[in-house]
Amino acid sequence: MPDRVLPTPRRSIRKSLLLTLPILLWSLLMFSRTLIEPGRPAKLAAAATLVFMVALFFQMMRTLETNRWRRYFFVALGFLFPVGFIWQLFALRGSMSIPVERMLSGDTPFCFLAIPMMILPAAIAGTVIFPGSILPTASNPHAIAAMVALWFAATLVLGKGWCSYGCFFGGIEEGFAAIPKKPRIRRLDPRWRWMPWAVLAAIVLLSAATLEPVYCMWLCPFKAVTEYPAVRSFETAVQMGIFITLFLGLVVVLPLLTKKRTQCSFLCPFGAFQSIFNKTGAFDIRLDQSKCTPCVLCEKACPTMSITPEAVRSGKPLMSCMKCGACVDACVRDAAVWHIKGTEVGASSERARLMCLYSAWAFAVMFGGSIIAGTLEKLFGLVV
Amino acid sequence: MKKLRSILGNTGAVLTLALAVLAPFLLFGWFQAAIGAAHLRIDPTYSGGQISHVIDRANYRIVVNRPVPRRSPLQRIGPFVQLAWTPAASLPAHFSDDVDLDGDGTPDVRVAIDSRNLSVDVTPLGPRYRPMHSQGVTSFSALIARVKDALVVRIPLD
Repeated sequence: MPDRVLPTPRRSIRKSLLLTLPILLWSLLMFSRTLIEPGRPAKLAAAATLVFMVALFFQMMRTLETNRWRRYFFVALGFLFPVGFIWQLFALRGSMSIPVERMLSGDTPFCFLAIPMMILPAAIAGTVIFPGSILPTASNPHAIAAMVALWFAATLVLGKGWCSYGCFFGGIEEGFAAIPKKPRIRRLDPRWRWMPWAVLAAIVLLSAATLEPVYCMWLCPFKAVTEYPAVRSFETAVQMGIFITLFLGLVVVLPLLTKKRTQCSFLCPFGAFQSIFNKTGAFDIRLDQSKCTPCVLCEKACPTMSITPEAVRSGKPLMSCMKCGACVDACVRDAAVWHIKGTEVGASSERARLMCLYSAWAFAVMFGGSIIAGTLEKLFGLVV
Repeated sequence: MKKLRSILGNTGAVLTLALAVLAPFLLFGWFQAAIGAAHLRIDPTYSGGQISHVIDRANYRIVVNRPVPRRSPLQRIGPFVQLAWTPAASLPAHFSDDVDLDGDGTPDVRVAIDSRNLSVDVTPLGPRYRPMHSQGVTSFSALIARVKDALVVRIPLD
């Protein structure tokens, strides 16, 4: 492995604290209601989440590394979301399975993964092929309009960065990918990268043709850890089998073997859909060819295989890049840099990183932070 | 040109930051209101379709929806008509109703319901409908289920 050719940079504590101050104030604002509410578990959970998020941001400022610290938040989000969600399901109905009765009453919480499948039927017939409700109700606060609005705002801010700072499912496989020190499988056929696009095209067309959310019904690995149709027939048993197999294969086993986010890289149609918004965002990652050797450290570090030899030659990762910052952290020559589109590559990379991180972390505190705090509150409630 | 692109890029970056700050206070509400105003509706496969007419009985009423047709050759869920007896708490354990589905004043089907065990027998009173027996949920187009304060029955159509 090549040695770092540049000295490991570190920002002073004072300057790091100053740069963290806006996020501290933002976090206080986001958690202010919970912090003053009665109830010790809620207060404790909000305080713990606040400290966690602010400390991670401080470390990002201090060490100038992004992915190393972002990953702690993202994995915590990935593992705490299902815990909180399943907890809520058991409290509501004593089971993770969703009965048809609940679908008919429009009480299914909306999941952003269904968005690509909704577009054609909504545009053509004005109908949403999801058993939820359009506007929030007392029995379904996670209604379609609320979740689509959240996704749209997140997409404006993060673009494909949603997959690194917002997607609670991605954190699960990132957690498993972080466990081994070295990958057991090193070479993956690069053609697999097209798979999410193929899945996206197939589910969009099939959903429009069958008027069913095909991915949710047949392919979503995360049904195994959230909510699935009640097994009442051979068909629902097959669906459940597919969910569990895909979850174990793509979210647990393959990330352990490859140290990559294999579900995101090889299956997730929403990730492919979100890649389109990499074209509209203000920030991206660039690979400065004048500094690149190339040592392929960035290629090895990229969790979604968005850096290829061709990408290095072209000076930017593929559009599936989710701005996690792993390549920038890994690059020993500072050739992989954060970049504001339209500006000169490498001229103000730290400013680009800061602006991108402030936007992303503000969203992460508000969205992911509230999920983490919600689950911690339930867990603290057991002991406090 | 280079400078202009740089100015535009930096403006985009500042706007992104502003959007991130505005998101929880303004953007969510605006976007939600915009989606709410788009006149989207839940697919009738799940919602049961629009209400056609309501039949009043002594202790309860029957809400008859418009038939939901098969709208695509590849659609697996067949055509059906949804009926809802409400309030469910007022329903006897066993009862039978002659129901006019098309609103022409003539009963089209006889629906016998066991509301405790959630089973239903539908007997056609005319040639347009077919018989059905369902215990619980057989499919989205043939079912009897308790949904909130109603007993919902879906009768498959040809």
